[in-house]
Amino acid sequence: MADAGDGDAAPVSEPLELVRLSLDEVVFVKLRGDRELKGRLHAYDSHCNLVLGDVEETIYVVEEDDEDDEAVKTIKKQSEMLFVRVGDSVVLISPQAPG
Amino acid sequence: MSFFGFDPAIPRGGGHPDKAPGFGAAPDPFAGISQHQGTGYEDEDAIDFDDTYDGLGDQLDETNDDLNDATFGGIEATTSTLSKPVGKDFDFHGQTAKVSNVINEEQFRYNRQHVSRKPQNLMKQTRPFKTGYEAYENPDYIPDLQVDVSSKGQTRTASGNVQASQSSSILSAVPQAAPAAAPARKMMSLEEVETAMRAQPKKSASVLTTQGRQQSQTMTYPNIPSAHAQHPLNVQSQSSAPVNLPPQQLSYQRASQNRVPLIPQQVLQAELPGQSVPNTARPGDAPQAQQRSQMIQQSSSQESAPHRQILQNPKRQSAQLAPRPPEPPLPPPQQQPRVFTTGAMGASQQLPIITHPQQLMQLSEEDRNAFLLEDAKRAKRNHKIYMLSRNNGLMTPQDKNFITRIQLQQLMTATGNTVEQDPDAVLSEDFYYQVTSQIRGGARQNPQQPLSNFAQTYLFQTGSRHGGPGRRQNRGGDNHMQRMEMQVQRAVEAAKAKPKNKQLVIEGSLGKISFSNAKTPKPLLNIKRNDSHDRPQSAGRQATSRKVLPAKLSISGRKSILRNIEAVYSTLMKMEDHERRLPAAPANEEQMSVAHHAWQEVMESLGQKLWDDLKVMDPIVEESSILHPFIAFLSYPKGKKAIPRIFRLLDEEKRLTILTMIVVHLNILDVIQNVQPGASGFRPSLVAREEVELFSQTVMPSLFAYVNEAPLQIVIGLLGLIVSRADMQVVLRTKVGLNILTMLLSRAELVKQSQNPSDQEWNQWVNLYNRFFDVIEPMLGIIFPGSVHDGQEMYVWQFLAATGIGANPDQQQRLVVAVKDRVMETVVQSKTLPPDMASQRLADVNLFMRAIGLDVDLLG
Repeated sequence: MADAGDGDAAPVSEPLELVRLSLDEVVFVKLRGDRELKGRLHAYDSHCNLVLGDVEETIYVVEEDDEDDEAVKTIKKQSEMLFVRVGDSVVLISPQAPG
Repeated sequence: MSFFGFDPAIPRGGGHPDKAPGFGAAPDPFAGISQHQGTGYEDEDAIDFDDTYDGLGDQLDETNDDLNDATFGGIEATTSTLSKPVGKDFDFHGQTAKVSNVINEEQFRYNRQHVSRKPQNLMKQTRPFKTGYEAYENPDYIPDLQVDVSSKGQTRTASGNVQASQSSSILSAVPQAAPAAAPARKMMSLEEVETAMRAQPKKSASVLTTQGRQQSQTMTYPNIPSAHAQHPLNVQSQSSAPVNLPPQQLSYQRASQNRVPLIPQQVLQAELPGQSVPNTARPGDAPQAQQRSQMIQQSSSQESAPHRQILQNPKRQSAQLAPRPPEPPLPPPQQQPRVFTTGAMGASQQLPIITHPQQLMQLSEEDRNAFLLEDAKRAKRNHKIYMLSRNNGLMTPQDKNFITRIQLQQLMTATGNTVEQDPDAVLSEDFYYQVTSQIRGGARQNPQQPLSNFAQTYLFQTGSRHGGPGRRQNRGGDNHMQRMEMQVQRAVEAAKAKPKNKQLVIEGSLGKISFSNAKTPKPLLNIKRNDSHDRPQSAGRQATSRKVLPAKLSISGRKSILRNIEAVYSTLMKMEDHERRLPAAPANEEQMSVAHHAWQEVMESLGQKLWDDLKVMDPIVEESSILHPFIAFLSYPKGKKAIPRIFRLLDEEKRLTILTMIVVHLNILDVIQNVQPGASGFRPSLVAREEVELFSQTVMPSLFAYVNEAPLQIVIGLLGLIVSRADMQVVLRTKVGLNILTMLLSRAELVKQSQNPSDQEWNQWVNLYNRFFDVIEPMLGIIFPGSVHDGQEMYVWQFLAATGIGANPDQQQRLVVAVKDRVMETVVQSKTLPPDMASQRLADVNLFMRAIGLDVDLLG
């Protein structure tokens, strides 16, 4: 009932209907602030708040050393469960096609 | 309005503050003041207060007002003991009560004050009263001298006392704002005043806020006449004295006209917070206070008794004692009727007033001194009140109601629609919580329990209380709350009704305005679904994908599968939801209600829809590169997870169909195809293994549950399908494949042992088994996954055991030969393992060995 909504087999009734297809699938999520998530989408809502499982979070940090060389450093974090609270920060949700 | 501005422009009897908009519940005392000032006696006498003031108040050293307490204490201390230094530990009442020469004391004090204060200064003190009180920002607070009237009424026996109470009643204004509060507030006895004064320094400024109301009351005192006129009905029953004594009041009235000017500062007795002064022990003390006041009266030859009774501050009394020229403060004809009506209230309130500047001039220096002191005090207090209440009345009651309504409305929507009684609606609010609490067997039986309690708290309890005919009449604070609750209720209902038309099309405008709230957010996109379009589209998509992408699932194919899965879930959830709505069982068969039938119909249609969504019955296209939709469905984790839930809702026939579909497509199931070991020790990917695990946990139990009930004929049919259609080499090398075979083989054995199948059936089975055995025998060497060391082969031994049970001795022999090496390897390897692991491995092997009548121990 909670998310039974109106998914009456209509292919696209609203944009997030597409996100719904990725429920329980591994998705790639791009966030503001140079962050990327890859994990299994457990839940979402109309604000693009997300709950992901088995998430690998990648943060890209640009570090400038003395010679003004910019090196992109990535920080990776692994979490069992992640809740992306601020839907605003979600830039992209992409299904991760297997293989 | 000007604050204490003596605005003569306001006509007499102008709008009462209570009637002013926004002051209905809590009248603004200042409004009354300014208006009353305008209607005061100045008008009658055509003398402007301002004109008579000489500006002496400007010269007043107002900074010393901070020490008023000390000053008063000092005065009293000297009055009573004559020798002690100024202190706050004075016990005026106790001391003076014992002293017999009260008259002498009074004289002393009189002189003392006379010496210490010069008339000029005193006159100057009045200025703050008129001006803006800027100098009084210091929030010293001035106590309120009020006490229980009842105690006074009991203790006073002398006619003078009675007169006093009555005179006070005559002169005091009963603020309309506090009709309820007034009865409780009475004149304080002398002792109480002292107590309060002693306590005063300790109190913080914060006390002030609690006293705002009291102070505001006192502010209106100068306006007594008009106040009286407005409050004819404020008769209080607490003091019995006034009722009996109209004549005295009359006499007093005349007396006061002749002799005693009404002095405002007396009205403005220092206000001690009524709450801070204990009400106990007053009765006993009151007489003493009265004694003293009586004595004071005696000392002054010409003063009228009543005033002194009321003046409990000795200094003030002395001020009053001074001879005064006759004054016409209160026109008797007007006052008298009011006196009767307000009698009791008056007793609790206060005193004569100087409404005319001329009166002040006519006072003795002492009087003036005291008056001006009081005046300054009052001004200071008024200023404090002003500071505290500067923003009073900015919000009208309507405004406040509005805000409260919004707040409560948000509360309602945030907590869920409490008015909604539909359990489904309640469920939808926090579905997962409800489910979880039900699963955990929480204490609350009814999901609506807390909500309805909440609703009662805020809405329902009030419903019956109002609407009565008397509602209009008593609109007190309580009633006000009720009205607000009603409003909230209405607002909530309105809010509920509002989403029904989510869009407003204003005539002549180009667009629509959509409403939104927390529960139904404004739809940003409104794409109309066109059902007639969708079907052909997706069908076409499938067709194209069939052509273009033969080998792998196309993206669109994947999408359509996902869409199928979501459709299945939607239907599934609807069905589960519908199950909850099963109407209560009818009392008897005949009463099989219409609701039940309707429920049944919906359930069936949903079940059919679910079946359609599963696409199990889609034609099986041989040699097709496209996965059958159902098999594709099963290839997704969420598809697998749905199977147990679906199975529960399907009938036997459909379950069998699903099982058949799985069996037919056994070797193309993802859990079989993706875990095929490669040539060189290929280990299936983690994802594939997880899929297998998931399949074993979700789909297999459902299949197993069905097969366990299935008759032999179905088992035969299923095994026959596998043997004839499936690629045994593929199936045998997977866990799922072996599990399914094990399932079927063991079921056949169980049927044989428990149900005694007919010979024909059994023969059919044996024939099939023989065929099956022949097929698998050459592959028995490859059914073990990986090497011996993996230890993940229990299911293989289970399969071998199931095969061995049904095998004839010859087949058993061949079986043993086929797996002999593996058995030996395992036995040898188990000797190198820790005991628990070794026994586990041996037990697995023994499963098979026992099935064919052997034991690992024999291998020693």
